Amino acid sequence: MTIHETSAVRGMVDHDHLKSRRLRNRIRHEAIQFGVIAIVVALLGLLAYAVKSGLAEKGIRFSFSFLANTAGFDISEGWTLTSGESFLPDFTLFSPDMTVASAFVTGIFNTAKVAFLAIILSTVLGTMLGVGRLSTNWVVRNLCFWIVEFVRNTPLLIQLVFWYFAVVLRFPPMASAAHFYGLIVSQQGVYVPALSWVGGDSMFSIALVTLILVSVVGAIFDPIKGMRRVCVAAAVIYFALLFVTGGVELNFPVANKFKASGGTSISPEMAALLLAIVVNSASFIAETVRGAIDALPKSQWEAAASLGLSRRYTVNDIVLPQVFRVVLPSFGNQYISLAKNTALGIAVGYPDLFNIYGTIANQTGHSLEGIIIVMASYLILSWIISTLVYWANRRLNPMGVPR
Amino acid sequence: MIATSIKWTRHNLFGKPFDVVLSLLVIPGVLWLAYSITDWAFVSAKWGIIVQSLRVLMIGVFPADQAWRAWTASAIIGAILGAGLGCVFSFKPHHGLVLLLVPVLLLIVHGGLGNALPATGTVASTILGWALTSYVPLSRKVLPAAAFTGFIVIVAIMAPPGVGLWGGLLLSVLLTLVTSVLSLPIGILLAFGRQSRLSSLRIICTWYIEVMRSVPLILVVYWIWILMPVLAPQWGLADVARGMIGFTIFYSAYVAEYVRSGLQAVPRAQTEAARSLGMSEFDINRSIVLPQALRVVVAPLVGNVLDIFNSAPLVFIIGLTDFLRAGQMILANPQYGDRTFEVLSFLLATYFVIGSMITYAARKLEDHMATGTR
Repeated sequence: MTIHETSAVRGMVDHDHLKSRRLRNRIRHEAIQFGVIAIVVALLGLLAYAVKSGLAEKGIRFSFSFLANTAGFDISEGWTLTSGESFLPDFTLFSPDMTVASAFVTGIFNTAKVAFLAIILSTVLGTMLGVGRLSTNWVVRNLCFWIVEFVRNTPLLIQLVFWYFAVVLRFPPMASAAHFYGLIVSQQGVYVPALSWVGGDSMFSIALVTLILVSVVGAIFDPIKGMRRVCVAAAVIYFALLFVTGGVELNFPVANKFKASGGTSISPEMAALLLAIVVNSASFIAETVRGAIDALPKSQWEAAASLGLSRRYTVNDIVLPQVFRVVLPSFGNQYISLAKNTALGIAVGYPDLFNIYGTIANQTGHSLEGIIIVMASYLILSWIISTLVYWANRRLNPMGVPR
Repeated sequence: MIATSIKWTRHNLFGKPFDVVLSLLVIPGVLWLAYSITDWAFVSAKWGIIVQSLRVLMIGVFPADQAWRAWTASAIIGAILGAGLGCVFSFKPHHGLVLLLVPVLLLIVHGGLGNALPATGTVASTILGWALTSYVPLSRKVLPAAAFTGFIVIVAIMAPPGVGLWGGLLLSVLLTLVTSVLSLPIGILLAFGRQSRLSSLRIICTWYIEVMRSVPLILVVYWIWILMPVLAPQWGLADVARGMIGFTIFYSAYVAEYVRSGLQAVPRAQTEAARSLGMSEFDINRSIVLPQALRVVVAPLVGNVLDIFNSAPLVFIIGLTDFLRAGQMILANPQYGDRTFEVLSFLLATYFVIGSMITYAARKLEDHMATGTR
């Protein structure tokens, strides 16, 4: 209640007057409240009606039944879920005889794949660039500054087009591809060594895998820090054991005339999209990191220096741990915009969610229904990322720990 | 001299063992990169394609015999931007000289007065606008009205050959200007709505902002583009207008968040003092809270303009020929198929120059706004 509403001068004498005045204010408040709701509902209704009649004129019915139809188009890469013979859905490569719903799942999978890889890589690269801007080395400092400055002031889309047409498509063809320790870089894509399962049904290997999974879960969720370290060590030891006993082996790609076999392949489109997004997000992350380091009290640096710590130990053990506590929410925002940026994949033909939605809308005409699905998918993706970041933030900053 | 440079080198490049390793790794790489870029840029690059197709890059497929319309429009935009600049940074003669370098350079490269004329006109009107608002404070008062009239004149001049023909860098700039101007009032309203005491209004505004901030811009633009003809088939809105609506709807949510951060920065005591003076809620917001809030967020809002400008190439999705698409159109000509590097570096360089200027302005503005506060 504000003073002019309660009218302090007259209110003191006349209690009944004040009461009725308050009641009137409340009724007015509720009336406006209902008015706002009514207007919004009316607007939404009008929108729905206009869309429905507009669609009816074109002979399109608003329904989601097209999701069960056969897709009839192919997608260059990506896995999907389909209803197989068993109770659990099958996880297989997409093929044109699957349903439209499977095509959407492929899109979500491809978007999530790029977003996941890009989040990890851009965090690493971004932190390196951000710390590099504070390096004592003049060349490194200025190099990092200009990279960040250039990337932040130019459009991501043009960077993506540049990476695709001017870099990735200029890679050597497979016949003369570049090889680095099992990595094959060529016009047809990038091939990296992959782990492959050769354990078969052997009980020993399966038990080891289960143990690894349990230790990883423990390493993430165990509340005691010492136990988490033990879990990490156990996971590494079990994995080494699995590798030595022949449960898994590294599968190196082998270059043939036009294609490479074995290993995991990254298509040229995905390589370009990944490069563009990683470099772009890393620059924004670098700026955040640098800002947070600048915001750290100078006394922290001075205290570390007076203890005789070298600059490397100061940065690694004093500065960065404090910085990461502060910057995590900004990282979260950057991760969300990174996930949204994957929609630019359509410019180079990477089959992400938005690209596949475009194909589906063209083929079936159900663009509006598709938009609802795509929008909901992006909302859920953003929500998952912000929940994870919130969770990690709680983990790093337990309640009551002073900054 | 040599002693100082040796000292500098020792201190800045070989100060510590780790720095030595870094220097030995990075310096040869940077030198090699710098050498290959310079070698390419001055020896093997064929920049002729940029000079030949400069008109397409700047105004897209706008008919050549109507190009004067586009050049007039860019002169007006230059005047408006210059006048806006003059309100904050006072004009100095050396600024004008630096700006005049652009047409002079063009004259040398292009070798004809006729081709450098549009650039001269734009730069000249920018300088005029800048000088006007910095030397005549009274003109700042009429700037909003003048800018509004300028926009109407631009549309009136550009419309006759067909709105669908707008393109090139001019389209990117127009889209950025229209979106930044339109999204400001909507963003302010949304920010107030998000802080409203009416829970219904608050929830609706919060939802709008959060949904817009978690879906990609390209999706919103595409969505508005296909939805508008279904909603209002009789209007027959042009692609450009639909693109601008999509951008505005999306960026209003971002502006709202910036403005909200500014609203929160206004001390509560200000509102309370105004209330105790008996001002109405509307008057408090309009003349006490908003001016102080906007002062805080001017610099982030200029940064937002850079974001809008940087996402302008997304309009390729609705078939508009912006700066990037104009470049790709040139590359689509099989004759020029091998000039990818030249065209893309030109696009990136232009964007970098304009983007750096906006960033610089935002930083200066931040200092400028910070000086007046306690």
